[in-house]
Amino acid sequence: MELSDRIVRHLREVVDLPDLSGTRYELREELGRGGLGVVYAAWDAHLERRVALKVMDVEWAGEARLIARLEHPGIVPVYEAGTLADGRAFYAMKLVDGTRADLFLAGDPPLGERLRVLERVGEALAYAHSCGVLHRDLKPQNIMVGRFGEVYVMDWAVDGVAGTPAFRAPESAVDERSDVFAFGALLAFLLPQSAPPALRAIAAKAMSAQPEERYPGMPAVLREVERFQDGLAVEAYDENPWQRVRRFAKRNEVLLWLLGAYAAIKFLLFFARVI
Amino acid sequence: MNKIMVGLIFGALLGAIDGATAWFTPEVRSMMASIMVGSTIKGMIVGLLSGWFARKVDSIQWGIVLGSVLGLAFAYAVAAMPSETGQHYYLEIMLPGFVVGAIVGFLTQKMGTPGQVKRTS
Amino acid sequence: MWRDADTAIGGNGDRFPSTQLSLIEAAAGEPLALEQIAALYWKPVYKFIRYKFGKSNEEAKDLTQGFFASALERDFFQRFDPSKAGFRTYLRLAVERFAASRHESETRQKRGGDAEPVTLDETLDEIVGSAESPEEIFSQEWRRQLFALAIEELRTECADSGRHTEWAVFQAYDLADESRPAYAELARLHGIKESAVTNYLAWARRRLRALVTERLRGVTSGPKELREELRRLWS
Repeated sequence: MELSDRIVRHLREVVDLPDLSGTRYELREELGRGGLGVVYAAWDAHLERRVALKVMDVEWAGEARLIARLEHPGIVPVYEAGTLADGRAFYAMKLVDGTRADLFLAGDPPLGERLRVLERVGEALAYAHSCGVLHRDLKPQNIMVGRFGEVYVMDWAVDGVAGTPAFRAPESAVDERSDVFAFGALLAFLLPQSAPPALRAIAAKAMSAQPEERYPGMPAVLREVERFQDGLAVEAYDENPWQRVRRFAKRNEVLLWLLGAYAAIKFLLFFARVI
Repeated sequence: MNKIMVGLIFGALLGAIDGATAWFTPEVRSMMASIMVGSTIKGMIVGLLSGWFARKVDSIQWGIVLGSVLGLAFAYAVAAMPSETGQHYYLEIMLPGFVVGAIVGFLTQKMGTPGQVKRTS
Repeated sequence: MWRDADTAIGGNGDRFPSTQLSLIEAAAGEPLALEQIAALYWKPVYKFIRYKFGKSNEEAKDLTQGFFASALERDFFQRFDPSKAGFRTYLRLAVERFAASRHESETRQKRGGDAEPVTLDETLDEIVGSAESPEEIFSQEWRRQLFALAIEELRTECADSGRHTEWAVFQAYDLADESRPAYAELARLHGIKESAVTNYLAWARRRLRALVTERLRGVTSGPKELREELRRLWS
């Protein structure tokens, strides 16, 4: 039999669809294709809500169990993991309503907002590291910013997917510092043109070619960013004395104004009397 | 250090310094000692009240406002006291007192711990 | 040795063993493995040659036979480097080289005279269809053959295990060239419930997916290439 183009097209659409019989889910639309599988939107018939279903094209459920172990506001909660009728592994997780980080930048958010997203990502990573889990493929496309301020780190990669070139650390052995590298790349990505040099310095340090020269772990980077936001000196950035003074003045603005007012009044009163 | 302590210490310190600037007014230089004492005590009272306020209300703005109002009020009280020479220095006392009060109010908001009020069961 | 697949009707009606042999066996010269590769690649190579080199039906068949006979007998598989390109691309490039060298030697023989004008006849137009390039035709045909072979396997599987209704429903719905019948209609036609129609289709598609994956496994160098090809196939 000679299959027509139409039939081939139809088969390509239909044969790979996950067979959800035996699960509580009804298939809806395809949402995207990731590292190891396809993500569909689905309807959970029991709880009457929409969920995201990730169906692996490899018969392996390791990733799901890995993610399900992690519980953190920045990590998408896994509701269920199982096997489909055709043997493929799947897991059901929260359907995140939001935009990917790279598209989120299109709205030109203020620096504070960008740093907030970055911090949430960093906290999620720090938590995962503390549980012994690395992300390995951190990039803007794997970060979702929800409509109500939620920030989720998605697509936790596992062995076999070595990351995306621009965000991948140069070394071959992968540890926490590889994620630090990607985090630095993320920071660089999120910074606007007019970003303060201290932040660029933090990103550069996190992206050092030698792992030893980067921050030792996520908590260290996060503290750096926090110090920047508090107007403190940042380890990565050597500022000249004048910048130091300016920073001090900015931090203690109110007090300096008050003292200035006092001095001014005193001077005025003194000279008024003399005249 | 709790906020009341902050108020007392900085109130005293700034009050003393403010009092010391009386040296620049030759006419009252002879009374420096009593001026400084009075100024210090004034500062401590303003500091105490600001510190107490700071424990209840966490607002830099209102801390400054309260501090400056208290500073102004007490400065007025001091300026209005009967003087040997019969001369009153309202402006010279009240204006700086106003600003010193503001500074003390600010410091009590920014520094120190509110401290816990211990409840008995 | 190589089946002369007539291009107008049908394809390879022969049954192939359900175990798909890998490229490794093909490299070792295992004839069954080579047959499986030929079964999949014969038509794609033929159409590719016709489009790319503008050959007639007979010439293209000749070249295709020649390719599978000679090129695959040498250490074709040993030279395959999976890190450079997929097997499909590697094979296509080999076809290009083979046909080009044969073409060169032919035109050298026609030294001095006018080379025969190359015309695209009607059949070639039909072949080309909406494809933009010979490479695309190659991929399209390859996909078509992949499905065709897997469907053939499914058909015999159903026939052997008595799943006649399953096959009938699948054929009527998924292999329908014109409009597809509604589930209700199919249910009525075969005297089964509509839910059974859904189940049969699901079963058939599952089997087909497994058969396609197996066949693909036989022509890829490993899990990574397999995953990539699968992704390209289904997206």
